[in-house]
Amino acid sequence: MSGNRRTELLRRFGALAGLLALVVAFSFTSPAFRTFGNAMTVSLQVSSIVYLGIGATFVILTGGIDLSVGSVLALSGVVAALSVKAGIPVAPAMLLGIAMGAACGMVNGLCITRLGLPPFIATLGMMLVARGIALQATGARAVSGLGEAFGTLGNGSLGRVEHIDDQGFPDVSFPGIPYPVLLMAVLAIASAVLLARTRLGRHIHAVGSNAEAARLSGVDVRRVVLFSYVASGALAGLAGCVLMSRLVTAQPSEGAGYELDAIAAAVIGGTSLLGGIGTIPGTIIGSFVIGVLRNGLNMNGVSSFSQQIVIGVVILLAVWIDQLRNRR
Amino acid sequence: MPDQPPPLLAMRQIGKRFAGVRALSGVSLEVRAGEVHGICGENGAGKSTLMKIISGVLAPDEGVIEFEGRPVRLDSPQQARSLGIVMIHQELNLVPQLTVAENIWLAREPCRGPFVDRARQREGARACLARLGAGIDPEARVATLPIAQQQMVEIAKALSMQARLLIMDEPTSSLDEADSQRLLAVVAELQRDGVAVLYISHRFDELARIASDVTVLRDGCHVRTMRWAETTLPEIVALMVGRTLDQQFPVPTRVPTEEPLLQVRGLRREGVFGPVDFEVRRGEILGFAGLIGAGRTEVARALFGADAADGGDVRVAGQPVSISSPIDAIRAGIAYLPEDRKAHGLALKMGVGSNISIASLGRLSRRGGFIDFARERALVTGSIQRLAIRAASPEQPARQLSGGNQQKVVLAKWLARTARVLLFDEPTRGVDVGAKQALYVLMDELATQGVGVVLISSELPEILGLCDRIAVFRDGHIAATLEARATTQEEIMYLAAVGSRQPTGAATSADTSAMARSA
Repeated sequence: MSGNRRTELLRRFGALAGLLALVVAFSFTSPAFRTFGNAMTVSLQVSSIVYLGIGATFVILTGGIDLSVGSVLALSGVVAALSVKAGIPVAPAMLLGIAMGAACGMVNGLCITRLGLPPFIATLGMMLVARGIALQATGARAVSGLGEAFGTLGNGSLGRVEHIDDQGFPDVSFPGIPYPVLLMAVLAIASAVLLARTRLGRHIHAVGSNAEAARLSGVDVRRVVLFSYVASGALAGLAGCVLMSRLVTAQPSEGAGYELDAIAAAVIGGTSLLGGIGTIPGTIIGSFVIGVLRNGLNMNGVSSFSQQIVIGVVILLAVWIDQLRNRR
Repeated sequence: MPDQPPPLLAMRQIGKRFAGVRALSGVSLEVRAGEVHGICGENGAGKSTLMKIISGVLAPDEGVIEFEGRPVRLDSPQQARSLGIVMIHQELNLVPQLTVAENIWLAREPCRGPFVDRARQREGARACLARLGAGIDPEARVATLPIAQQQMVEIAKALSMQARLLIMDEPTSSLDEADSQRLLAVVAELQRDGVAVLYISHRFDELARIASDVTVLRDGCHVRTMRWAETTLPEIVALMVGRTLDQQFPVPTRVPTEEPLLQVRGLRREGVFGPVDFEVRRGEILGFAGLIGAGRTEVARALFGADAADGGDVRVAGQPVSISSPIDAIRAGIAYLPEDRKAHGLALKMGVGSNISIASLGRLSRRGGFIDFARERALVTGSIQRLAIRAASPEQPARQLSGGNQQKVVLAKWLARTARVLLFDEPTRGVDVGAKQALYVLMDELATQGVGVVLISSELPEILGLCDRIAVFRDGHIAATLEARATTQEEIMYLAAVGSRQPTGAATSADTSAMARSA
């Protein structure tokens, strides 16, 4: 049916067209917006939404939700930082942080698949528990003095060109591509391939579309659900390490409300909260819609309060348009 | 005929298009008070669209609707209901968490001031239920009622709305023989009260009992309206499909053997069924007959690992297998086509192709779990051709297919694997004549290929026409296993219902006495 294909195109390119319209509009209103440096700044800001958004897409595709990622992110960052303080080198310390995130996701997944808790409740509990542990472990104080190496992941970039000018100040002729942005690209491609081309990806869609039919077709539904929550937790752990590295400080209160950004990114990108429908490219576009809106509105001097209003309206619009398309 | 009163409902030259595709064109229909008007047609013939127009769910693009001789516009179900046109949908529209009385009066609650008048609500519900002769407690929660009683609640709800034209869409599709008979008796009572009934059904035996007139639709067009008494079944079927079907059941090509393919001993679920013993032989079709709730579906589900059994010994081709999940059963070569294909058989949002390949992805994947799309595509297009599945493309969401084609997709999923035993649970429910035939032929072919086929069906002619042997279930046990050639519908019904009331007579007399009381 060509109508089907048209709907599919709309779904795929509707959000993209919106994003492009935003970029064009902001490029006119603010010359500073349309620079390579600013593009990298936006990408850097968006990268953590993308990490969390990919996790949210997995989870929402199975028909679930993960409210804990903001807190898990903080706990993971704190674990990485405290490990460094305890004398562990930076790389394994960060891996520990990511493992902490994965463990939190595992607990979420087990609560849902084994204890039969609704995903909303299971991850709401984890949201409080993880935040509480992070605050308790640090006495609610920021962990600093982590050394320069801790900041490499968040602040370093590939292909940065600079030279020292006559006054002895560094002069950046090319800012390079920040590591978090590279990481974002790698994760986006890997997860898009996983969802679209592998058995596991197909199973994730099937579980979200009809878990009982999937089970009766021989899909190991529990394993699939568990995987999505572990992936979401691990990605939150990674986001935590990157964010704390950028500040070279672990903030136990970091990341509050990020779970909603992640869900918003997925939803703007066409993921259905009922499960079974959604793509990684869509979520990336959704993340950039949020990031470009914030950045562009900032440059045009719009207050952060007004930004919230705009982003809220954009979410409502995106889902409403989606509903219109689905109505028959 | 100038002295005859105008028909209750008259539709003239009704047309409807969806996104440019013609769903109905030039359909005319007249229904008179006290008439049971059967509507026949294959899936996709436009029956549902027409009923939705009559009940105000859809607006026609062209044509006129008259009610008692006056032109009317039916722009909403509320408007249709205010004229006394009420539709009972195939999928019941009840709120399971509310009580029977609350459901009957939903959105029309009798009130005293701002509060619901619970006493009046209860008594009103009781009166409607009594008129149907249904002994249902108005205070019972709907979720706790069996499906047959839920159906009665729907009808009671329609009566409470002073229905003058009742539209019933496959009302018996989820009822067993005894409950179906009861429902037909109720319809006959309503007819005597002067209610007009539009009755959609694929089951001609029902129409033969109640219909006074019948209209046949095909491809969105009105084919013919006839007095039931002046037509024959072959004529109706021929009008529906536009060709003649020589016979309902195919001549078997299979040769059943004595070799046991599936042996089940002592399979049981505490408080649900069993222990049951049976075997399926290579190349045969074994029927499971019985009333709804007798344990047929439950046995099949336990055998497939969908529900955990509490005990039992299962052998496939002589090898003992341990089944605790569908994954185990599939590995052992057992496949199950569920009764409720939308809830249990299909991922409705996914494409037809993905639904067909879902159980075979292991075989279709390369190392690392990457799906080999070329091989998947080959499998899917092959299945679509082999089963003649009518889908626009393999990407079309399964939700958009007709019932018969959905059933074929579920079947294709299992044919894509080499299953040794196939359990069909009510495979032809809600499926049109043409697709039914195709399914019958397929089951026979599968048996010919040496697959053991189990057919669960509430339609006795189907069981008798298709099976080699028949296991009759009663109260969670197999009452008897019969040779299909040497038994009759009456014997099976008797075995299935022994100890309970005779279904037909009981329903009718109960209704008559209820009528007498209310009169």
